[in-house]
Amino acid sequence: MKFFDVLKMANANLLRNKVRAGLTILAIFVGSFTIILNSGINYGVNRYVDSQLEAAGGEGYLEIMKMESMSDMIQMGGMGSGGPTEYDPDGGSGVQPITEDDLQIIRETPGIIAESVRVFRMVNVEYIQSLENDKRFNLSISQWPSDTLNVAMASGRMVDNNSEEFQIVLAPEFAEALGYTEESVVGETVVLAVALLPATRPVQVKRVEATVVGVQQQSMVGMGRSFVNEALNDALYDASLSALPEELRPDTNFFAMAEYDTSMSEEEVQAMRDRLSEHGLQAMSIRDQVGMMMTFFDAITIVLMIFGGIALLAASIGIVNTLFMAVQERTREIGLMKAMGLSSGKIFLMFSTEAILLGFWGSVVGIGLAFVARGVGNHLAAQTFLSGLPGFTLIEFNPTMLVVITLVIMAIAFVAGTAPARRAAKQDPIDALRYE
Amino acid sequence: MDKDKKSVLEARKISKVYGKKANRFVALKDIDLKIERGESVAIIGKSGSGKTTLMHILALLDSPTTGEMVVGGEKSTKLKKAKLGRLRNREFGFVFQQFFMNPNDSVLNNVMLPLKIAGISAREQKRRAMEALKAVELEEKAKNKANDLSGGQKQRVCIARALVNNPKVIFADEPTGNLDSQTGDKVEKLLSKLNKEQGITLVVVTHDEDLARRCNRQIYLKDGQIIRDERKKKTGGAR
Repeated sequence: MKFFDVLKMANANLLRNKVRAGLTILAIFVGSFTIILNSGINYGVNRYVDSQLEAAGGEGYLEIMKMESMSDMIQMGGMGSGGPTEYDPDGGSGVQPITEDDLQIIRETPGIIAESVRVFRMVNVEYIQSLENDKRFNLSISQWPSDTLNVAMASGRMVDNNSEEFQIVLAPEFAEALGYTEESVVGETVVLAVALLPATRPVQVKRVEATVVGVQQQSMVGMGRSFVNEALNDALYDASLSALPEELRPDTNFFAMAEYDTSMSEEEVQAMRDRLSEHGLQAMSIRDQVGMMMTFFDAITIVLMIFGGIALLAASIGIVNTLFMAVQERTREIGLMKAMGLSSGKIFLMFSTEAILLGFWGSVVGIGLAFVARGVGNHLAAQTFLSGLPGFTLIEFNPTMLVVITLVIMAIAFVAGTAPARRAAKQDPIDALRYE
Repeated sequence: MDKDKKSVLEARKISKVYGKKANRFVALKDIDLKIERGESVAIIGKSGSGKTTLMHILALLDSPTTGEMVVGGEKSTKLKKAKLGRLRNREFGFVFQQFFMNPNDSVLNNVMLPLKIAGISAREQKRRAMEALKAVELEEKAKNKANDLSGGQKQRVCIARALVNNPKVIFADEPTGNLDSQTGDKVEKLLSKLNKEQGITLVVVTHDEDLARRCNRQIYLKDGQIIRDERKKKTGGAR
């Protein structure tokens, strides 16, 4: 018997009991749809993150924190599994400030570009205000970390860390809030106010004037922050401490920044990281930071995929049931075909094909409806929670993935079909023909 | 010509025993039988006489407990399952009392089934199936659903299906058992026409004396043994 004839017969046999086949396909669809949609969301998010990372650059850029290991960061949040850590007055766990000695170690690490190493001072700005009116807005700023990074600009240019001028690049929504447009704000002077330490109520501030050199576009890497250059960051930092005597100034330098030679091999980069790690200095690239976020996201995806898998498992029991019923119904037909010389192998193939077809249609229906869900989902997402992130399509399908999922579901269906198919294949033609 | 050379089927000391010990039941006992090419043979007996079991063994659907079958000079016990299947597919045709058709499929598809099993090309399948349907005068029903036919028409479709592979032997198990006498008569005539005109060997199992008389050899079975084996003088001569 030719395979095409087997396929045609298996298909015709499925259509003989449309309701039963339809319900089985529906059960498979529940699983396939869940899995396909999840993989679609995962792919869409990953693709967006990748494109953003690509646009962000940051090749060779590292942020360095001092702690025993990465897991300390989790313990810091109180989520550690080891229970409370005993207090050590010299500080022995958790994140510690970066000292001048640490900076020296970083500078001396092979591969690190020594002159790029600097501490990253965190400054809290109380508000931003334009010179034109009295409106004040909350603002969060960061020092522009590295020229290796790129952020898409809506207007103007990025701040220059080598400039002595106090420069700021605004997050997109501030231009309008301050009474300008994205274009007209460039070159204007704004006032940044920092709270004086020690903290008092009402807050006492010191104001620093800065020049707006550009407005950045909304993006994931920008995260809605405004960026200042090193000169402005240092000025703001010094301003906040200006009321404190030297000896009372807290050590708040928790981050260091460094760049490394990007021509190094992967092994050399690893060796560099290992050396830093030996001194309790944990280096993270942009990719590492996003990676930690993505690990969490991937874990959620996997859990949802497992639910899809459970649905498929239930559906495959449906396939077993459907096919056992079909074998029962067609006992005499199987007997007849065997009498006419059809081999047991071909009978097995015929029922297996039926099972595989169920799996195939189940995943095709799943793919079809996933495409519908993609259209609706992306439309809704673009209008709501993704409205600020142009170019982010939430659900995106990878053709290879769709083929792989379909093949896996067909394989599962085949496995489910083996028991009924074997029963059919083993039937004795005489008994089958006598069967009433 | 040597008689042995002409025989298409030969049973040598065949016995069939079902069950064990207390439940032991002997269905066939030491059957020796030669069926020659072109013969039409009726196996006659009451129900329980072992006639269907004998036919199943002759058609290589079942294997005897002791003894052996010789088909075309080859001992069936020496043949592998796949070869047996091929042999049945190419050399034998089957007609059953209960038709055994796929009722929801078209007449044409039902007739094509043995050709599909043989792995013949779709075009050739159709051509030969239409030819077989013409032989039973049902070619205009080819596209109809098998279920929409009358009982007599159904049995003629089954004969077309048995015929489609150009078999050497057609086995018919009570072919008229589910038909009224008039349509039964038509089926009987059709079978003996195939025997006479195309020289297809016919093995019919029946308890219908009328049908048995149309055959040129009658084998009477009782309690698993041949009690009478009558042959008309000339093969294919009568009627």
